[in-house]
Amino acid sequence: MAKAALYFITGGVRSGKSRFAEQTAQEWAIEQHATLHYLACGRVFDAEMAERVNRHQEDREKSPIPWKTWEFPTDIERIVDGINQDSVVLLDCLTTLVDNELFTQQKPLEAEFLEETFIKIMNGIEEIQRHAACLIIVSNEVIQEPIFHNEFLHTYAKMLGLLHQAIVERADAAYMVEWGIPVMKKGGTPI
Amino acid sequence: MHFVTGGAYNGKAKWVRNYYSEKAPVQWISAYQDEALPFDFDEDFVVLQGVEMWLRNDIQEQTAEAIRIKWQEIIKRWRIWEEEKKTRCCIIIGADITKGIVPIEACNRTWRDASGWFFQDIAAASSRVDIIWYGIAQQVK
Repeated sequence: MAKAALYFITGGVRSGKSRFAEQTAQEWAIEQHATLHYLACGRVFDAEMAERVNRHQEDREKSPIPWKTWEFPTDIERIVDGINQDSVVLLDCLTTLVDNELFTQQKPLEAEFLEETFIKIMNGIEEIQRHAACLIIVSNEVIQEPIFHNEFLHTYAKMLGLLHQAIVERADAAYMVEWGIPVMKKGGTPI
Repeated sequence: MHFVTGGAYNGKAKWVRNYYSEKAPVQWISAYQDEALPFDFDEDFVVLQGVEMWLRNDIQEQTAEAIRIKWQEIIKRWRIWEEEKKTRCCIIIGADITKGIVPIEACNRTWRDASGWFFQDIAAASSRVDIIWYGIAQQVK
């Protein structure tokens, strides 16, 4: 079975990365006659989060092809029952998924658990790739500031950094969105 | 001199290991392993990993300006060592810590300022500079 194309899109807060990811997904879907699936990892627990979610929902409602939304804060591979080889999946976003996987179980952040979580997330990505035509992963730029003195930030940045490295390595294309402008870091032809 | 930078956990060391894999033997000295910074090296290819951590030892007692001057002298010594023999190359890996929120603690602000200047000075002294983003290099010099 062919593996889905993999795109990695990152950027700062409000950089336009989600919008670019949605456009990429829509263009892919139009060209390949595919269906659109939105894999939301965020949990809505306050008004600010609701505002963010609504904004992205409104964007997706303007899409010429309808989106199907799936909410999986953890265990993203659960989406495979609802998709097929004609599906484009947009995962938004990796950082929230990491948050949820790391902090919902209330386990101490020990090496073994971190390793398990890393493998679990990468396996989830691979499982989706096996069942879809295209997977687009949105994430946030990891902080570039003095983190070494803070054990928690250190662990978190390491996990996210290693995941980003592993995903970029496997990706067909990788972009960093700067102020609405996608900068291609890896890949052949721009979309 | 070859300067390799980028954010923490972006795969800088992995990239360097790969890029210089043909050039063995390479002497690898890492500040993350609490190794002291030597000034005389055993091999022609030397990797100094985590230079921002060596610089950090100075932040309690010195101003960012004083730290900059001290490390400019150290960069000069690396260059002199390199120039003694044509085949020598000093590869410097530094994690970029300059792009976050202003740190609350004064010493971390000093560290950030000093490392910004230090990296500028290393880049100026280097014939090649690469910025690594999750394993992908962008050569900027």
